[in-house]
Amino acid sequence: MHIPDGFLSTSVWATMSAATVPSVAYMVRRAQREVEEARVPLLGVMGAFVFAAQMINFPVGIGTTGHLIGSAVLAYTLGPAAASVVMTAILAIQALVFQDGGLLALGANVFNMAVAGVLAAYLPYHYWGAGRWRKAAIFSGAALSVLTGALLALAQLRFSGVAMPGAVVWVSLGLFTVNALLEGGITLAVMQSLEALNPGWLRKPAASGRTAMGVLLTAAVLLVGAGVLFAASDPDGIEKLAENLGIASHARTLLETPLGGYEIQYLSSGWLRKATAGLAGLALIYGACVVFGKLIARRRSA
Amino acid sequence: MHHVVLDRWSRGRSFLHHRDARAKVLALLAFLIIVATTPPGSNAAAAGYGAFLLAAALLAGLPAGGVLWRGAVVLPFSAAFAAMSLFAGDNIRAIALLEKSYLSALAVVIVVGTTPMPELLRGLESLGVPRFLLLVVQFLYRYLFVISEQAQHMRVAAGARGTASTLAVFRRWRLRAAAGAISVLFARSYSRAEGIYRAMAARGFRGHISLLAAKRFRWQDVAFLVASVVVPAAVRIALGAGGGWPR
Repeated sequence: MHIPDGFLSTSVWATMSAATVPSVAYMVRRAQREVEEARVPLLGVMGAFVFAAQMINFPVGIGTTGHLIGSAVLAYTLGPAAASVVMTAILAIQALVFQDGGLLALGANVFNMAVAGVLAAYLPYHYWGAGRWRKAAIFSGAALSVLTGALLALAQLRFSGVAMPGAVVWVSLGLFTVNALLEGGITLAVMQSLEALNPGWLRKPAASGRTAMGVLLTAAVLLVGAGVLFAASDPDGIEKLAENLGIASHARTLLETPLGGYEIQYLSSGWLRKATAGLAGLALIYGACVVFGKLIARRRSA
Repeated sequence: MHHVVLDRWSRGRSFLHHRDARAKVLALLAFLIIVATTPPGSNAAAAGYGAFLLAAALLAGLPAGGVLWRGAVVLPFSAAFAAMSLFAGDNIRAIALLEKSYLSALAVVIVVGTTPMPELLRGLESLGVPRFLLLVVQFLYRYLFVISEQAQHMRVAAGARGTASTLAVFRRWRLRAAAGAISVLFARSYSRAEGIYRAMAARGFRGHISLLAAKRFRWQDVAFLVASVVVPAAVRIALGAGGGWPR
C-alpha cells in the first residue's frame, strides 16, 4: 500500500522520515560493502525486474488475479541490505514517475516496505532457511513482509487521523492476510524454480539451530505490528490508560508529536509555528545526516 | 508505455526546464510542506495552489490536460478514503484528502516533467542523497522499459499458448506457470545485468555517471526558488482557514 501525500499528519511523516533516513543510509553503506562495483547495474536491473514481474498475473479466485510484490525474492537473492536499497529505488521511481505514493510520504513508505518489509522477509529465512523448515521459512518470510508493511501503513494512517470505521479495518486486515498468503505461495514457487535453474542465485542462509532466537524475533515483529495497529485504531483506549497512570497531559505529545519539542515559542500563528517546527526538524535531520556522512567519510579516508 | 510521456516533456525548453534541479527539488519540498500543513476546509487556498501550479505548467509549456490527467492517478485511492471520511460525517476532511493528494501529485508531475531524470538525480546527489542509491535508481529507470517490454512479450506468448483459459483444472498449473515465467525473467535480467556491466566497464565506467555540462546555481534559480516558496506561502496565509493545527 503506497500512501500518497496529503494523508499523513506532519508529525507522522516527519517522524517516519527521521526513522527512515538513517536506516536507509545504513543499508546503503552495508550494501556498498557487500556488493562489488560490478553488481551496481545488477541491483538496478533487479529493480526493473521486480517492476516487470508485477505484470505477470496469476489467478487467485474466480475472475481475480494477483501478482508478485517481490521484496522477499529480492531479499533471498541479493541479501537484505541490497534488497532494501533496491526496494527504496523502486519506491522512489514509483513516487516520481508513476505518482504511486507521495514524496513527503516516501519516508513512511520506504520504512514500511523497504526497511521493515525486507527485514521481516529475511528474518525467518536467516534462521530456518537452511534446515528442513526451509519451505516454511520462505513462505512465512514473504507473507510476513507483506503483513508488516500493510500493518505499519494502516497504523500510520490511523495515527494521522484518517477516518476508518472498525469494519473497514477488519476487512482490510483480512485482505492483507489473503495477499500475504498469496505472496508466500508465489515466492515459494519462484524460489523453487530459481533453485532448479541456478542454485548460485540464492543467498546462503545462516546455519539452522538458533531456533529460540528466531522464534522470539519473528514473534516480536508480529507483536509490534499488531500492537501498533491496535494502539492506533483505538487511541482513546491509550489515553484512558495514560490518564489512569497520571500522564494524560503528556500522552498526546508523546504519542503523536515526537518533533513537537522543536516548536518555536515566539511565533504566535499556530500553523506557522508548526510549519516552522516541521521545517526546523527537517533541517536538523538533514544537517545531522550531512555531518554524520562527512565524519564517516573522514574516518574512512584517514 | 505511458510514462515515456513524462520523459518527453522533460526534454522541452522553457524557463522552468532551464532551472537548476536543486532549486526545483527544494521548491517542490517547500510546496508539499505548505500544502500538507494547510488545515482542512481551506478550499480557497487549495484553489490558489491549483492556480499557481497551472501557471507553472503553462510557463513550462506542458499540456495542461495531460498534467491534470497524470496527477489524477492518485484520485481513486484518495476517493476511497474520502468516502470513508464522508460516511464518518467528516465532509471537510474528505474534501481536504482529495485536494491535498491531487495538488501534491500535480506538483510532482510538473517538476519531474520539466527535469530530465539524470539531471534530477544529479541534483539530489548534490543535496546529499547517497550516490550508490541514486546509481541504482538510474539503472532501474534505464532498464525499466526494456525489461517491462520483455515481460509483456512473455505474457503475450503465454497467452498464445492458452494460459488465458479459465478452466478450473488449469488453475494450479497456472500458478506454476507464472512462477516459471517470473524465474525465466529473473534469469534473463541477471545475465543482461552482467552484459551491461561488462559493456560499461569497457567504456570507462568507474561507478559514477558524469553529465556533459555541470549546472550552475544562478540568480534566476535563486529568484525561482524564492518565488515558488513565497507565492504558495502567501496563498496559505491569505486564503487558508486559520487556527487549528492540521492533523
